[in-house]
This record gives sequence, C-alpha cells and structure tokens, in this order.
Amino acid sequence: MTDRTSIPAPGDSRARLLAFLSALSFFLSAVEYMIPKPLPFMRLGIANLPLLLAVDLLPVGPYLALAAIKVLGMSLVTGSLFSYVALFSLAGTFCAALVMFGARTLFRTRMTAVGISVLGAVSSNAVQVVLASLVVFGRAARIIAPVFLAMGLATGLALGIFAERFAASSRWYARAREDARG
Amino acid sequence: MGAAAENGGTRGSGPEAPTEPPAAKPGKLRLTFLDAAAVLAAASLVFLSSLGAVDAAGEPRVVIADAKGQEWIYPLDTDLEVPIEGPLGISTVHIHDGRVAIESSPCPNQTCVAAGSIDRPGQWVACLPNQVFVRVEGGTDDGSDVDTGTW
Repeated sequence: MTDRTSIPAPGDSRARLLAFLSALSFFLSAVEYMIPKPLPFMRLGIANLPLLLAVDLLPVGPYLALAAIKVLGMSLVTGSLFSYVALFSLAGTFCAALVMFGARTLFRTRMTAVGISVLGAVSSNAVQVVLASLVVFGRAARIIAPVFLAMGLATGLALGIFAERFAASSRWYARAREDARG
Repeated sequence: MGAAAENGGTRGSGPEAPTEPPAAKPGKLRLTFLDAAAVLAAASLVFLSSLGAVDAAGEPRVVIADAKGQEWIYPLDTDLEVPIEGPLGISTVHIHDGRVAIESSPCPNQTCVAAGSIDRPGQWVACLPNQVFVRVEGGTDDGSDVDTGTW
C-alpha cells in the first residue's frame, strides 16, 4: 500500500485509472443530459457509476479528486459551472462520495455496491434538499424532500444493482481491483 | 454501457477473477444484511419526510415563494398571470383552468418551464436559478366536491 493521500503522478497506473474513471464520468454526464426524463427534476445519477466502482479501486485522495472532477464535468455539461447551482452538485457529490467511501471502509464486504449506492444516492439528495431549504426555498423545501429522497432510493438501487453485476462479470474490473490491492 | 474493456468474449472466471467478496456468480445478485438495512433506512427516510410535507387542508390554492422568502397565495380557480421578480429577472407564473405553471423564465436551463402545469396538492414546480418556487396546497379535505374539474 503506497501513499494513501497524495494524487498520483502522471504515468503511474493509478493516475491512468483516475483519468479513465474521470473521462467515464464526463461521458456519463453527457449521456445523462441527453436522456429525456418524465420529470425535468429527475436525475438518473448514472454519472455516479465511476465513483461507485472506484470505492474498491482508488485510495481516498484520488477518490475525492474523482468526485471533484465529476462535479466539474457535470457542471460543464449542464452549463451551471459558474452559477450557484453548481454548489448543489458539489455538496451532493461530495456527501455521496464520503458516505460511499466510508461505507466501504467501515463495512468492507458486508455491504455490496447495492447498499453503498443507495446510501450514496439518498444522502446526496438529502444534502441537496437541506441546502435548498437553507439557500433558496426555506421551509417550502420540505415539499420537495419526499420526491427527491424516493428518487434517490430508486436510482441508487438501480445503479447499485448494475454496478454489482458489472463488478461480478467484468475482467477489467477484476484486474483493476487486483492492482488496487497491490 | 460499461467500460470498453468489458467485452472480453466469454465470461468464464479466469485466474484473475475476483476472489474477495462472497464471490457472487455473474448474473446472480447476492445481497447482504447491510444492503437490506441500507434500503430500509432509505425507505423510512422517504416515509418520514413525507409526513406533514403537504398542507392539504382548506381551499385549493397556489403558493408562490420568491428569492426573498416571501410567499404569495392565490386561489387555484381564478385565472391570473403573476410576474415574480428573481435574481435573473421576471418569471411569469400562470394560473389557468385550475392549473398553474411557470410560463416563462429568464433562467438558462428552462427546467421550470419544461415541468409543465400542476394542479394537485403537494405538486410543485421550481426554478432554482431564479429562485421561484410554486406549489399547490389544500383541496383534499372536503370529500364532497372533490375534483370538480374532472367531471
């Protein structure tokens, strides 16, 4: 196990992995943006897939770097980078990242990607609702809470099931996980 | 979807197959107790948050909140156009035929306009960039003349 906190130097295999996962989250942000949604406020959260897969692949420093890059990518794609709306994305993503990484560290293999994903998605949406009540909508935000949290549960569950199946069958992922354990 | 490296032909468990977790077979999902606990916790959070979220008593009405935290209340059954001042400019809220919608907005993403019109208590339309929040309250407590609009 090498240095757990620093961002890896370019060229090192972990840096390539971080670059790949970042690119994947950019790409998935764009895909998410293109998919028509039944409700405009719905989000699928598929751009979180790299973060979910990365709990076993990256140490905490690069993992948080991936979270930051995901926020940047998402804000670039949706055009909210220099508005305060990006603050919601930032808070939600970092909360999800910390919760997911924490759950993996705490529970190890006793929780699969399904549980990790649900915790991440719901906590991300919960933080955004709290932020919405503090920054913009005040008490009215309590009305959006049930919908938002239920959405997080549903999309988190779906993404978790996908990630768990992907992890079980992907050789690339198996190899990356081997490498990560060093 | 999935990473490009995934299409490696047949998926037999090679020598480098994952050995660590309770090695689930590909395609079979094996959930743990903590997975169930996480889902249950999330579900109960959803349930708790829905308690008392909506003030459903009284006449059906439109409540509009603006960037300054002020709220305006209008009856849902009177057609009206309400301009709401936000940080980006004027958002127009239109009450028409017992439904309410954000008709125009100066925001870049137009999510609020795309959300369309709402008419039932608990429904809401929000514009995050221009900080306008429109919701419908009331209208469910009197079972006698429910939803006259649908008859």
